Amino acid sequence: MIAQHLPILPILLPMLAALVLLGLRLDDARQRLISTVATLLLVALATLLVLLAGSDEIRLYALGNWQAPFGIVLTLDRLAALMVLLTAVLALGCVAFACSGEDAQGSHFHGLFQLQLMGLNGAFLTGDLFNLFVFFEILLLASYALLMHGGGKARVGAGLHYVVLNLIGSALFLIALGVLYGATGTLNMLDMGQRMAALDGDQAALATTGALLLVVVFSLKAAALPLYFWLPRTYAAAPAPVAALFAIMTKVGVYALLRVESLIFAGTPASAPVQTWLWVAGLATLALATLGALGARDLRMLVAYLVLVSVGALLAAVGMGQRASDAALLYYLVHSTLVAAALFLIAELIDRQRGQAGTRLVCGRRLNQQRLLGGLFMVAAIGMVGLPPLSGALGKLWLLQAAGSEQGLWLWALLLLATLAALIALSRAGSVLFWASHKGKPDNQRVRPAQLAGVLWLLACLPLLTLFAGPISGYAEATAAQLGRSEVVSTPPTTGTGVRP
Amino acid sequence: MSLLWILLAPVAGSLLPLLAAQRGRLLLTLTALVPPLLALLLLGLTLPDLLAGDMPHVQLSWMPALGLDLALRLDGLGLLFALLILGLGSLIIVYAGYYLHRDEADARFLAYLLLFMGAMLGIVLADNLLLLWLFWELTGLASFLLIGFWSKLSDARRGARMSLVVTSTGGLALLAGILLIGQEVGSLALGDVLSAGDTLRASPHYPLIVALVLLGAFAKSAQFPLHFWLPHAMAAPTPVSAFLHSATMVKAGVFLLARLTPALGDTSLWALSLSLIGLATLLYGAWFALFERDLKGILAFSTISHLGLITLLLGLGSPLAIAAALLHVLNHALFKAALFMSAGIIDHETGTRDLGHLGGLARAMPLTATLTLMAAAAMAGLPPFNGFLSKELLLAATLDSRLFGGLGAAVTLLVGLAALLSVGYSLRLAYGVFFGRHRSDAPLPHDPPRGMLAPGLLLAGLCLLVGLLPMTLAAPLVTLASQAVQGNATPALDLALWHGPSLPLAISLIAVLGGLLAAMRQPQLARLVALFPRRDARWLFEAAVIRLTKASLWLTLKLENGSLQRYLALLLLTAVAMAGLGLSQVERLTGERGVQPLDGMLVLGAALMVFGAIGSALSHRWRLVSLLMLSVVGLSVALTFVRFSAPDLALTQLSVEVVSMILLMLALFFLPQRPPPWVSTRRILRDLLVAGLCGLVVASLNYALLTRESQSIADFFLRESVPGGGGTNVVNVILVDFRGFDTFGEITVLTLAGLATYKLLNRMKLFMPAGNVEGIHWSRHRHPMILAVIAQILLPLALLVSAYIFLRGHNQPGGGFIAGLITAVALLLQYLARGYDWTRQRLPLSYPLVAVSGLAIATATGLASWLFGYPFLTSTFGHFQLPLIGEIELASALLFDLGVYLAVVGATLMILVNLGRVTTVHRPSIEEEN
Amino acid sequence: MEALFAAVVGTLTACGLFLMLRGRTFPVIVGLTLLSYAVNLFLFSMGGLNTHAAPVIGESLSPSDPLPQALVLTAIVIGFAMTAFMVILAIRARSELGNDHVDGKQGDEEPPR
Repeated sequence: MIAQHLPILPILLPMLAALVLLGLRLDDARQRLISTVATLLLVALATLLVLLAGSDEIRLYALGNWQAPFGIVLTLDRLAALMVLLTAVLALGCVAFACSGEDAQGSHFHGLFQLQLMGLNGAFLTGDLFNLFVFFEILLLASYALLMHGGGKARVGAGLHYVVLNLIGSALFLIALGVLYGATGTLNMLDMGQRMAALDGDQAALATTGALLLVVVFSLKAAALPLYFWLPRTYAAAPAPVAALFAIMTKVGVYALLRVESLIFAGTPASAPVQTWLWVAGLATLALATLGALGARDLRMLVAYLVLVSVGALLAAVGMGQRASDAALLYYLVHSTLVAAALFLIAELIDRQRGQAGTRLVCGRRLNQQRLLGGLFMVAAIGMVGLPPLSGALGKLWLLQAAGSEQGLWLWALLLLATLAALIALSRAGSVLFWASHKGKPDNQRVRPAQLAGVLWLLACLPLLTLFAGPISGYAEATAAQLGRSEVVSTPPTTGTGVRP
Repeated sequence: MSLLWILLAPVAGSLLPLLAAQRGRLLLTLTALVPPLLALLLLGLTLPDLLAGDMPHVQLSWMPALGLDLALRLDGLGLLFALLILGLGSLIIVYAGYYLHRDEADARFLAYLLLFMGAMLGIVLADNLLLLWLFWELTGLASFLLIGFWSKLSDARRGARMSLVVTSTGGLALLAGILLIGQEVGSLALGDVLSAGDTLRASPHYPLIVALVLLGAFAKSAQFPLHFWLPHAMAAPTPVSAFLHSATMVKAGVFLLARLTPALGDTSLWALSLSLIGLATLLYGAWFALFERDLKGILAFSTISHLGLITLLLGLGSPLAIAAALLHVLNHALFKAALFMSAGIIDHETGTRDLGHLGGLARAMPLTATLTLMAAAAMAGLPPFNGFLSKELLLAATLDSRLFGGLGAAVTLLVGLAALLSVGYSLRLAYGVFFGRHRSDAPLPHDPPRGMLAPGLLLAGLCLLVGLLPMTLAAPLVTLASQAVQGNATPALDLALWHGPSLPLAISLIAVLGGLLAAMRQPQLARLVALFPRRDARWLFEAAVIRLTKASLWLTLKLENGSLQRYLALLLLTAVAMAGLGLSQVERLTGERGVQPLDGMLVLGAALMVFGAIGSALSHRWRLVSLLMLSVVGLSVALTFVRFSAPDLALTQLSVEVVSMILLMLALFFLPQRPPPWVSTRRILRDLLVAGLCGLVVASLNYALLTRESQSIADFFLRESVPGGGGTNVVNVILVDFRGFDTFGEITVLTLAGLATYKLLNRMKLFMPAGNVEGIHWSRHRHPMILAVIAQILLPLALLVSAYIFLRGHNQPGGGFIAGLITAVALLLQYLARGYDWTRQRLPLSYPLVAVSGLAIATATGLASWLFGYPFLTSTFGHFQLPLIGEIELASALLFDLGVYLAVVGATLMILVNLGRVTTVHRPSIEEEN
Repeated sequence: MEALFAAVVGTLTACGLFLMLRGRTFPVIVGLTLLSYAVNLFLFSMGGLNTHAAPVIGESLSPSDPLPQALVLTAIVIGFAMTAFMVILAIRARSELGNDHVDGKQGDEEPPR
């Protein structure tokens, strides 16, 4: 019986967990237990979904048994499954880390965390544009609350910016949605795509306008160039587990862009301008974020800028719109999300042991667990820069190869320079934090087991991504094929659960 | 398969030392020796096949999408280098066992060393260019860790970072080159690439490829002008310098050049750039080696010069030259490693490496002296040592090279000069340390323990033996190697100390004499050189990095100045630009569907709204006014909904309006009372422009769409509402049934908002004005009687109304949401009228719980449909007779709507009551004011 | 009529955004509310501006497109939630940062564009 409902479980599981966590008055220990177990289950479930999606069957789940395009359908394809799994894996690391005490600094941490997961999974699974908006609001509101967790000047200040910008983003989303509905008269993305392809003349131009507005909204989420200035401070201010979880937030934007590009705009007049915008904005983001990373004076800021660097590369790849580039960007997306999260967590651990100096890149007190943290940092940094032997190198290589054509040379130059800059910045940071002659003797702060578990869980993914690069890249390629960019989308689903021809 | 193990042995073995860390020095050294010896053994086992003429190789698929395979091959070239890496590596491990101080984390050191060994083997065994690159970068990382091993020394840190950055820059260039090669050839397997030489040379990208590859190789092999990192890498412990920075890692670049010669070689571009750069490096290194005072400094510069020599030979490209290059790779590794070891010993025993403080140690350290003298003689290229052989070959190769045409003679002369200089600095090193008088007043040192000497002596002995019996010891290996590079073109080597009188011999004779002279006249020369100020490239490099950092920081701060207004403006302008791009494609804004006529009511309503909007914008500094204006707009929006037949929306809008107003009033109480000061007019104009543009875009979009037809999916809902959804109020049916999932998400948002505000409000300290701006205190009567009475009467009424609205919602305008808001307002009124505590006692509800239970009910309703095998939120309904209300049908959707109702009540009160509590609880009373 | 409606929506948008561009939290909230009015009207109008066409079966002959109305209803609720949160956030910001400037900075120097 459950099997038929699989596509919605990633949404309901966190929901139920949240209900339990919020409804019953539980002590910290129980809350942690429930939250961790729920996330573990989510990982297992997501793995199952990925295996299912591997059969190339696209499972549709018609909510309320109202078929598309009239009702809301969830679409479980390879891409959705991959994103859900990535989120779950990431979340497990963050939850584990948070269980070491961060969660007790404010109310309802775990409940909000689960709702955040629900929002993310919903956004990945839904096949309906307005429903996507609703889930965006869920994950945004949850992220607002989590961002303020623990309070403090910096968080509230950064939060204010983050909130206001995203509120305008939501308004833009609604307008874009209105335009698209007004022009096509439907909300199901697949259906909308076909209707858009059928439009002509001014109607098509209006639809294109809506599409472009939608792209602006998603670019804000993904933090593309003129719209990313809010990100570094926000991420640097957020509590470590939340900042780590936020590593997926920009990727939600990238995902949404990829989704609407392949599902709605493909084969319509909107496609060309959208791709051009993504390509240019992506490269510009890459370039400026690189400078930001070079100039960063604080480890957290540095990591935030490196997140932006990866976003830039990803956006440019989306802009390329080739099947190869899609596959490459998916592999790199997974890697960059996990490694960024790990670095945020490590930064927190370093902060705890450096007293006043915190994560500022100045000569501070000697770390209590120099060797341990140094090792963790080294591994994460190698992954982030994209040096062998970790998956970052493979991901970047693949992106570069995918961009092989003449236009791609821009990406080559910028991405290689960005790699060099990241290397310079991180090696400097590392040598200041772990090598530079220290003043003051270490205090007796120690890494808690839960924290270590969280970090190791995330870091362990990198060697796995490297070792099993073959099958994983295979999955990515199949996913890109399934997205079928630069192909006409097939007919809309008429049966509930079934295969799209 | 055994190839894989050769590679894995050191990599996996790098863990062994860590395991044996606490077991004492000897055992540690022995465990560290296991991996390389094992690898050597395996290498020996594969040798027969190699000699039999076929090439052992393994291939495991790794990432086909990338054209990256785990493919290894062992050919002559690989063998030569692998032997050097493993053989020298083992000796270095023995040496390091004595070199490091007791208290140093030698286990970690040896682990890094083994790791490096593995990476280096990977380079020379790789049968796939990408794989080669991966290992290439790995060696860089390992060397970073090893140079920075003494991380307390600032020089070590800087040296480590600089070498990492410089070599990685080269590495990235090399990567680009490799990817280009891959695109040209269509494969990255070494075999394919090497056999595709003609395609590559023909391709338009050839110059670019060569440039990139050479950049990588030269950075790694410290070729001028990228040599500057090498001297600073000498901050590393001496075993590292001996192993990485003379014998192996810096040879990786040379190796790559040799490796790719079949694919990229024999074009004038390749030949000239190699030989010219090589020549320059040869001379530059030799010249500055003559003036170094630091032992390791001399050795570093001489290493640079010898690497230049090898590059030059590869550039000359004649079969003989290439063979000579490979021979010199071997020779240089032997004598240079020995010399570094001796430098380490001297440092270790005397505590200094400065020629200024050394001298006359020959009697004190006889063994060290012999070792050093032999190796130095080899470096100087004196017979009967191995260095002599390669020097003769070099001179011979230069003489019969046609590459430089008329300049051939000059080149030979320069090479001769280099030889002269090498004699000079070798002499100076040997003499300066061991002869003359003992300079420092420290007690005379003595020879180190045998174990520390043995490796060096062994190497020095090899230098001699290779010199004496080259044909048996060196020739076979070199021949094998050069076959791997140039196939059948490989010359039959005839290595011997004495070929009878010849021009090269004459030149080197002169060189030796000149070298003697140079060594004796060195002080005068030094003074001469001192006249020309010399900038160490390191400072330039670091200055450049710092300037770059500063510049980017400046730019970043300039761009993101932390002003929300700027970010907003950017966002809006981007949106306007994009929308404008789209709108510019529209030919006629007015669509085919005609425009409807106006009437007075509409104009009035519009005027009202515009008035309200502009009013609230103008009066934004007088907040109460602005708020009132806002409510005007809100009400007229509700009226608009009424006018255009959306009763549900009108009701919702109204009830939301009421609640928001209460909320905003409360907010006003906490926010500063005084109007903020004026801002610059420029700013106002800018904002007006931005906002105006957005308004314009929205308006024209709206107009364009309003005047156009589009066939929507609406009919379906109108058709299915009654039969499928069991309700006549289509909007409500859509909300609770067709698109119930949206509503499900919507109440989640509401609950989240409640929880979030709860989170924000607890543990918050507030600014609590005891009066308004004019200093007039708030009224003493907190809860006016009249209000209390009204509230009392209103409550049951309101509850009744909300129940009614709730029940009829499915068929008439209404529904759970509106009902919820009405209830919330009614309850809120109690709080306002009677105060927090009074109401709390009589209404002991936990609003978070209410909201959550609402959410739970909604979820449960959704899940219930699973029992009947339907998807989430599938609804069903039946009709019932109820007294008073009459015939209603109870849809399961109604239960869902109940969830909505509870969620709304809970969330709304969670927000408002919390805020109210905060106000009433710590509101300062007048008494404490005065 | 369409032109008038569009003009009103445009005006609301412009005023709302102008308010949001002021550096203080309260105008931002007011502007936000105005903006959401505008957006809701916009979205609503996508169903066409019909009189006496309430989408209630049996009440009107040619009921207008109910879908936008449902969407707007959801949008109103979500908008309300967001506004409420924003209000509380503004209060919290005032208490944390000590003033009501969106950048939390004292004084009123406006950074140049």
